[in-house]
Amino acid sequence: MSYVDVLKAEYKLVYSEVFRRKTALVTLVLYPYIFTAFTLFVGYAAGSPRMFVERVGVDPVVYMITASFMLMSILVSIDELLWRPLFDTYIGTITYILASPISRLKLYSAIPIPRLTLLAFMGFTSIVPVYTVYYGLSGLVLGLVVVAVLVVGCLVMIPFAIVVTTTVHRVGESWRALNIVRPLMMVLLGVYYPRTYMPLVGYIISSLIPSSHVVEVVQRLLTGMQGNLFTLFVIAFILAFTYTPLGQFTLKAWEHKKVKEGVKTS
Amino acid sequence: MDYAVEAVNLVKKYRTKKRLGLFKSAVEVVEALRGVSFKAGYGEVVGLLGPNGAGKTTTIKILATLLLPDSGEARVAGYDVVKEADKVRKNIGLMLTVERGFYGKLTGRENLEYFATLYGMSGGKAKERINYLIKLLELDRLGGDYKLYEEFSLGMKARLSLARALLSDAPILLLDEPTLGLDPPSARKIRELVKELAHHGGKAILYTTHNMFEAEIVCDVILLINRGVIVAEGTPAELKERIPKLKVVNLILKSETGDVYAPLKDIDAKYEVKVEENGLYSIKLHLKKPEEVLDEILKKYIKRGFEIVSIKMEEPTLEDVFIYFSEGFT
Repeated sequence: MSYVDVLKAEYKLVYSEVFRRKTALVTLVLYPYIFTAFTLFVGYAAGSPRMFVERVGVDPVVYMITASFMLMSILVSIDELLWRPLFDTYIGTITYILASPISRLKLYSAIPIPRLTLLAFMGFTSIVPVYTVYYGLSGLVLGLVVVAVLVVGCLVMIPFAIVVTTTVHRVGESWRALNIVRPLMMVLLGVYYPRTYMPLVGYIISSLIPSSHVVEVVQRLLTGMQGNLFTLFVIAFILAFTYTPLGQFTLKAWEHKKVKEGVKTS
Repeated sequence: MDYAVEAVNLVKKYRTKKRLGLFKSAVEVVEALRGVSFKAGYGEVVGLLGPNGAGKTTTIKILATLLLPDSGEARVAGYDVVKEADKVRKNIGLMLTVERGFYGKLTGRENLEYFATLYGMSGGKAKERINYLIKLLELDRLGGDYKLYEEFSLGMKARLSLARALLSDAPILLLDEPTLGLDPPSARKIRELVKELAHHGGKAILYTTHNMFEAEIVCDVILLINRGVIVAEGTPAELKERIPKLKVVNLILKSETGDVYAPLKDIDAKYEVKVEENGLYSIKLHLKKPEEVLDEILKKYIKRGFEIVSIKMEEPTLEDVFIYFSEGFT
């Protein structure tokens, strides 16, 4: 079976969930604004916007909406992967997936793509209009570039997400572990708290996450500190390629464990 | 002869935790299968018949590559279920738990399209097959074509589940209690289709159920399974033949004053007595040789002033066969 066919099937599955469940769609559009409003509220309460501009070099509204969009894009698209085995177990489809001859790597690498496409379009309802208001035509161009860069950021995250998913789901009551993994990722991606300010251990762990390099690319684009953007992309891709065979291995190990215990059918 | 399914001495133990307190627990080992062996050929429906917890679903799961056996061997379409799981998966259609296993926000057709992709089917070939199955299972008539799965009735869910099992036109079907909880028309439709698929489609079908009536009308061969062991195997008629000449005699007697239990005291048989209205008694006797003892029992009743209203002899049912083999009733 071709990868395109698997992708088509996943598109239909995800879009049926989003478009037939209107609240999901509305939440998706509103999320960057809600998160930005919340962060700005906290930020303005604690310090002044002028200080923020002096320290970071970007208007806090622009910075926060970008951070929220980045976080949403990366986390929500990999969330599809992180929660999918639990969702499939809950509704009973896992049995038929595991009893089918489909390549597990093909299926699991296709799972985040539909949501990612949707999120890329959400860039046009969040960062692109805000950038345009703040910077005019150059803001529009910058917005489009940031959306494109983030698509790459999400794609390089997929192999890493497969490793995390299939490792976490080897543990009993894996949803508890996921509730720890997700907030950790939020911090370690460096979207709100740039990794250059992190302690050394945090910086090293963050550097092992492919998307964190792409997040830094976006931050550099915003602040005008362009420097070695290409190197950051290369590191992200090298990490993604390194995690791919590891992902295949952890997928097999996860499936073996499921089958050894017996796939739940009821 | 090439068998569709061959299981040799399958053993499976589950380890569960027995809670003994807040901090204390012990490991409890449950023997789900204790050496199950059988063969199933193409063109026949082989029924795995047994009560809840007998090992039916465990057997199906092992054959569907969803569970590893502790020991023993199983081959499906000639492939080992442990070492050649990928090849096994290409040769089976699976139907487990009727009421779940689909995506709620997809229609019946969209669900089938999704699962067709998992089986490597796409484009025109998949569409053609799905159209055929939707018609075959009358899902178009019931609205399954455009209704979301979450709006389906249980009968429609079962039909869709069978349609998925048939998607890849696999030569072997593993159906786990496919009519459980269904309304009579849906259950009948599925039973008819199963027989048709085996007898005219040449498919090998392993069919689990705990419904004796269903097993008798659907299955060509029945494997009676109890506590993880196959206790008997054969066609329904063969199985009935194999139990000793156990006959069930139904007696209806009438008496206003007599002691209905007294004549039954010394007989070597199981019996059930029901007291009805107007001095009527209904007695069910399980006798090995009714011709030898029935006459004497009747004489005792007549002597005690009972009127014999009716005598009826019954052949053993599959249920009697099952009880005989699983509980050692003689």
